[in-house]
Amino acid sequence: MRVEFFLLMAALLFTIGCVGVLVRRNAIVILMCIELMLNAVNLTFAAFAHENQSMAGHVFVFFVMTVAAAEAAVGLAIVIALFRRRRTTDVEDASLMRW
Amino acid sequence: MDTAIVRVLLESTVKIALFFFVMLTVVAYMTWVERRVSAWIQDRRGPNRVGPLGLLQPLADGIKFLFKEEVTPPHVYLPVYLLAPMLIFVPALVTFSVVPIGPSLDLLGHRIALQIADVDNGILIVLAFSSMGVYGVALAGWSSNNKYSLMGGLRSSAQLISYELAMGIAIVGVLMATGSLRLSDVVEHQIQNGWNVLYQLPGFLVFLTAAFAETNRMPFDLPEAETELVAGYHTEYSGMRFSMFYMAEYANMVTASALVVTLYLGGYHVPGLARLGLPETAAAIVQVLAFCAKVAFFLFLYVWVRWTVPRFRYDQLMNLGWKGLLPIGLANVLWVSFLVLKGWA
Amino acid sequence: MVLLLGLIAVVAVFALARTFVPARTVPVGAALGAVMVALVAYDHQELASLEFWSGLIGFVAIMSALLVVIHPNPMVSVLFLILNLFCIALFFLILNAQFLAVIQVIIYAGAIMVLFVFVVMLLNLKAEEGLRLGGGPQRSGAVVLGVAFAALMFYAIRNRGAAPYFEPESFDSGFGTARGIGRLLFTRYQFAFEAASILLIAAMIGAVVLAKRKLR
Repeated sequence: MRVEFFLLMAALLFTIGCVGVLVRRNAIVILMCIELMLNAVNLTFAAFAHENQSMAGHVFVFFVMTVAAAEAAVGLAIVIALFRRRRTTDVEDASLMRW
Repeated sequence: MDTAIVRVLLESTVKIALFFFVMLTVVAYMTWVERRVSAWIQDRRGPNRVGPLGLLQPLADGIKFLFKEEVTPPHVYLPVYLLAPMLIFVPALVTFSVVPIGPSLDLLGHRIALQIADVDNGILIVLAFSSMGVYGVALAGWSSNNKYSLMGGLRSSAQLISYELAMGIAIVGVLMATGSLRLSDVVEHQIQNGWNVLYQLPGFLVFLTAAFAETNRMPFDLPEAETELVAGYHTEYSGMRFSMFYMAEYANMVTASALVVTLYLGGYHVPGLARLGLPETAAAIVQVLAFCAKVAFFLFLYVWVRWTVPRFRYDQLMNLGWKGLLPIGLANVLWVSFLVLKGWA
Repeated sequence: MVLLLGLIAVVAVFALARTFVPARTVPVGAALGAVMVALVAYDHQELASLEFWSGLIGFVAIMSALLVVIHPNPMVSVLFLILNLFCIALFFLILNAQFLAVIQVIIYAGAIMVLFVFVVMLLNLKAEEGLRLGGGPQRSGAVVLGVAFAALMFYAIRNRGAAPYFEPESFDSGFGTARGIGRLLFTRYQFAFEAASILLIAAMIGAVVLAKRKLR
């Protein structure tokens, strides 16, 4: 097994997540796509940690997971607040602050 | 493939098949035990017609479930509706696979551990798969497209998240005392230093309470609370699919009891057995039987509590989880760290 | 390799058959199942190789990620994301990061995704439009840019500097265990660890304040 395989897999997953954020309009699905991207990055960290025989990469994955948990909590709270106000989770309807 | 792999595969397959058979039998007979004990508690007779003492009742029930018509309501979301009963059953079985039920012993010239998988991160795997249990209930409630089911599913996901936290905090105490994530090390440590329940009673009580909540058993069975939610998340299920939920409840009880025993009551340890000087195989059999007896006691406790304690109200449930169990669990962690610091545990 | 590609082709043909001729799904499925068994019988050696399994896991990961983006129903998206997270946990195992694999299941699948399920149930979202590519320049542009980005990454990874093979046997037993990570966390990354705890508290307070109905 080459490390390249995992890097490629991570690149593909990241691209899918990235396109998902741009294409979808449902706030919850957008949050999920962000999780997808974070996971792809985690996979790269683990692959490089494996290649360099250094566990620093694992520690970074740990921190990325912490950030992902915080982001999901706040993001979903925002979605709930949005839904309460507008009865929708479509990000295009949250246009009050738009010029 | 070389012979080592074949041997490992064969050994695991045999263990898994045996475990599966025993688990399903125990689950089937738990339904009988539940009804007999409840009858005894309420001064009734209970099922006593099929076979001696009603012992063949589970068989009759199984046949009944198999031949019942499976009604699939038209308004369900079918893929998830079909997936949910499986999702609720799998975690209970997977979690059991890391629990050691006896010491390793020599059999036919091979060293065989009486445990399906002796993994490095056993305790973490227990946490990981016990947290998977919520999906079955939540998805069953959601996919039924029925407001009672949805309420049941919502309640259960909130309840399971809250009590999982208390459970995790309680396990931290065990972890700190042992210094290893391996469940066989946990048991070994208790054999050396005495059972964990002696040192960390609050942690034990928190874990036990959380285990009741995680299995949706009586004082905490709000997800299916019959009197207010019809039957909660499994209102729309019938026939064999309903019986999957029914069996999963008992499978979860067996797994939770086995975990309580392993983490706090010394697992398969029998005090004073080493002094008797039994041959190794006989000692192993006694220890496995001791493990089964301990698990059986907790299974009985489950039934006993169900027919004794009334159901909590939803706000009481949340208060108990967050304001009661969590602080006690944290205090337990503090206490254990004090013990570890002094070198007493 | 033949086995892996064959199995993937079988799955793809089955998916196409289900989409276009749903009435013929069962016979087509049976025929493809027979093909699958024949493939396995033809090349059963490969079943024991790491390459085969990582290829299979990778295929499932990519497919589930695509379905997260495409599927119109948010709950199904959540389920496929969970499947994807499990695939990545398996990748972590292959990369000798066993602690990360378990943590991935506990934190992502056990906590974060439960939160998503909870919110989808709470808002009782129904299926909506799903993937709609026709709406404006952003959507079509996103796909084009995504393909370009993937091609660029592919090129970059291909032309990386000398990449050593790894030998799973050459690892010392401490790599990727909870002990190793704990040691690093509490020595070299102590400050970052404490900062992460503050981040979590801030996020917790933020979530409570945002989701509360009335503040007083």
